[in-house]
Amino acid sequence: MVEIKNLTKHYGKNIAVRNISFEIRDNEILGFLGPNGAGKSTTMNIIAGYLPSTEGTVTVNGFDITEQASEAKKSIGYLPEIPPVYPDMRVEEYMKFVAGLKGVRRGEVSAQVESAMERLHISDMRRRLIRNLSKGYKQRVGFAQALLGNPKLLILDEPTVGLDPAQVSEVRKLILDLKKDHSIIFSSHILAEVSAVCERVVIINKGEIKAIDTIENLERSMTANTILDLTVDGDTTKTIRILKDVRGVTKVSEPEAIGENRYHYQVELESEPVRNEIMSALVANQLGIVEMSMAKLSLEQVFLKVTENSGKKRSSLQDLLDETPEAPENPYDAE
Amino acid sequence: MFALYKKELQSFFYSPFAYVLAALFMFIFSISFVSSISDLGSNTLKFSFPNIFYNNFFYFIFIIPILTMRSFADERKGGTEVLLLTSPLSVTKIVLAKFLSVVTVFLFMMLTTLFFPIYASFSGQVMWSSLICVYIGFFLWGLVCIAAGLLLSSLTGNAIIAAVLGEIVMEGLLFLDTFAGSALVQSYPKFNSVVGWFSMQRRFVYFSQGMFRLEDLIFFLSAAAVVICWNILSIEKRRWSHR
Repeated sequence: MVEIKNLTKHYGKNIAVRNISFEIRDNEILGFLGPNGAGKSTTMNIIAGYLPSTEGTVTVNGFDITEQASEAKKSIGYLPEIPPVYPDMRVEEYMKFVAGLKGVRRGEVSAQVESAMERLHISDMRRRLIRNLSKGYKQRVGFAQALLGNPKLLILDEPTVGLDPAQVSEVRKLILDLKKDHSIIFSSHILAEVSAVCERVVIINKGEIKAIDTIENLERSMTANTILDLTVDGDTTKTIRILKDVRGVTKVSEPEAIGENRYHYQVELESEPVRNEIMSALVANQLGIVEMSMAKLSLEQVFLKVTENSGKKRSSLQDLLDETPEAPENPYDAE
Repeated sequence: MFALYKKELQSFFYSPFAYVLAALFMFIFSISFVSSISDLGSNTLKFSFPNIFYNNFFYFIFIIPILTMRSFADERKGGTEVLLLTSPLSVTKIVLAKFLSVVTVFLFMMLTTLFFPIYASFSGQVMWSSLICVYIGFFLWGLVCIAAGLLLSSLTGNAIIAAVLGEIVMEGLLFLDTFAGSALVQSYPKFNSVVGWFSMQRRFVYFSQGMFRLEDLIFFLSAAAVVICWNILSIEKRRWSHR
């Protein structure tokens, strides 16, 4: 459906996106994941044909986005980060305008507008001025607009931002439903969302692709290094020394006190059998093992792992996301 | 393209915008109409509409930037530029649709001025042939100014800045004639003829005298076309360069 090859985008001396390649298959939901400022929006703008790339090609439905722009754009529905709505228009009027803009045949305009409004539950708002709508409704109008003209590819840039939890799950259902007729690329910095909806994920950070795979594979490949959750009674320095002495242990985390003289460690192992040696080493040194279990990395940890390169310690994903607050693309758009 | 044209027209006519500007224009026009009637001498009961039009253009030209200021600036500000540029429409068609919609509003405003000659024809005689000629000239000069106003609107994301820049450029266009007529420029005949050739005011004088010259028609049309192309290129360029 879509092929992205060696895409690079410079903004002056800054490189927003560096040599990325991936493809979106037919009837697939591809998650596009990355912290703010990672280059998600830039990439989506390029795929949608809004920004030209500095290098590389994007082919949509067999048409090059810069060479055969008009043909390629006919098969794209795009919901940008800021919903592209005119505050002075009424919802229905706006939808009809966009249908005309996208070259929907006159006889089909009403039917398409109706079904798109129906799908996003904005039919009740048809007579309202867009400027008077709440942020969530504006977002939905923007989403409905992307469905007009029945494009094969939907590009959704953070479609759930500004929606309340009920609406978020509604939109997720809608995206799953749309999969039947469309290929979808959908960006987010919320992991739960991506793992709930997407089959494959592209993780991007600082303009580079860090991983492309299915969610299961990502979780599995990241846990190739087995991680052991270990709770031990006894002196921490002694425990750490013993753990580090065991051959096959690659990393021991800082101890975390969870009770009197009781500490929790995360131990990374080269392979699973090392576990037995740890056990005998601890027992031989008369340290009491309270708990020992194999840990599985969640997508969140995978994400942290592939995006971590600043060396700073982050306690949670949210820290990572808060770290690089993205300047809003349009400071005037306070509405 | 028609959808965009229609939407642009609606944004003018569904809001008080076009009506207020048309009313302002009519108001200015009626003041000069009344004052030329009151200036009538006792021996000649004549006044010339072309003269009124000629004088009015100096006011009208400053209304144009207000008409065009929002066209592209507001699209950029509201983030709706993305919608237009990711639609199957080419940039050329987008610019043309916007241009034509402003031209339509301009025609509407010109239409309102017809009231005065029609009114005058009830109590006197109007020389319609020279009036038609001045209308054509007025329209052609307006085309160039609208194209320039649109270009300035596409250069910035702020409608007010677009309007202020527009006023400066309009003032510059008017000044070109004074500049060409200045003693300094006149002392270099070749330079003078070049500057004079670009002076739209001089060309408009021919129209207001009832002379329709092909040269002037081609000048105005090609000037408008050049500025429209510039506008298309500037939008393309901004996409391709870094922001």
